[in-house]
Amino acid sequence: MEERQIQEFVHRISNDEALRKELISDPEQVIAREDFSPSVARILMKLVPHLSLGALGALPMSWWFS
Amino acid sequence: MTSVMDDTQGSKEPFEVYQRMLRERLQSFLDPLHPMLRSDVARALQETGKLFDITQTGARGSVPAGSWSLLTLLIALHIAPEIDLLHVSSAAIAVECLICALDLLDDVEDGDQTSLIKELGPARVLNVSTALLMLAQRMILSIARPEFPAAHILYLLDAMQELLLVATTGQQRDLLAEQRTVEQMTVEECIGIAAEKAGALMSLACRMGALCAGADDEVCEHYTLLGQLLGIAHQLDNDCHDLYYLLQDESVTQSMGEGVFTISKHSKTDLIRSKKTLPIVLAAESQRAFHSEDSPIENGSYDQKGLQEGIMAGWGISLLYRERARDQLNKIEAQQPVSHALRLLLGFA
Repeated sequence: MEERQIQEFVHRISNDEALRKELISDPEQVIAREDFSPSVARILMKLVPHLSLGALGALPMSWWFS
Repeated sequence: MTSVMDDTQGSKEPFEVYQRMLRERLQSFLDPLHPMLRSDVARALQETGKLFDITQTGARGSVPAGSWSLLTLLIALHIAPEIDLLHVSSAAIAVECLICALDLLDDVEDGDQTSLIKELGPARVLNVSTALLMLAQRMILSIARPEFPAAHILYLLDAMQELLLVATTGQQRDLLAEQRTVEQMTVEECIGIAAEKAGALMSLACRMGALCAGADDEVCEHYTLLGQLLGIAHQLDNDCHDLYYLLQDESVTQSMGEGVFTISKHSKTDLIRSKKTLPIVLAAESQRAFHSEDSPIENGSYDQKGLQEGIMAGWGISLLYRERARDQLNKIEAQQPVSHALRLLLGFA
């Protein structure tokens, strides 16, 4: 299930300092070796700037339901 | 009613002509109301993002005023460009009134102190909600014309009632979830509630547009699914943003659930009421993975890191549903590209 893949990947990055450093230096490589679907890989690449900080940057604004 | 140019590409105000038409139509239904009721109903429809909110007309970078009715209208115009504008605008403003009515109910049920509730009080707000629900029925019934068979009116009413009941079920599950602990909630349940609440409402707006245009079952299903996926994506995005803004506030303590929870004026009552939104459930799951039996999570208390992780994962899942909505739009566009205005409204411009 793609939802779980995203959850687990975010959890691993948040709790593994070495993996986070690797994500900063080569995000494509880290995500490519996980064998995610193209859509999940695209989404995770969007999360990379936030995940690599280890903290929340500014989230892009939402559109509906504001 | 005069015809409306559908090609708004490059226009500085891509929705203005449609908003003006919808406002005129909506006003025509409000005019017969008693002035004491009419003023309160009109006031509710002036809230942020609603059709009579003139501050957001043509606003760039934010959702345009009357976005729900615009969605129904633009989908109908996409499927049937020559459609009778009088009847499609009636269906579109019915959707606007339904959503406004449900928003008011939601505010009262959640104990939100919105500016409208402060101004009118909960009793009058509930009465306005009832009036809007009745007006929506009248708007649909007004479509009856010799060239528009009565059976089509029944299809519209049937779709409206079916999807509103789904949304009401989602609301009931959401309210009941407040009495459960976050540990009893699953990610799947959170997404299910989002699908029933926001998903059903956006499905309704899309389906009504397709039905008005006389689309066949297959096309109606395409738009219904598009609405559901977008509704889920936006609801999850909204939940993540609510928690995100809350965490940005220095006055917030790090204890949620049963514990003390200091809230700033910007925070949402959803969080005060211990709503088990997706990022909070994800944060709880993350922390459970780290706590052994020797050191369980104390009283639903979460650390900042866990909540940040919940927001990130939740936002990622909202983007996943957005991707799925984009795939669904691509399927629709394989038949015929949608207008610039509709694409802009959907957030895919």
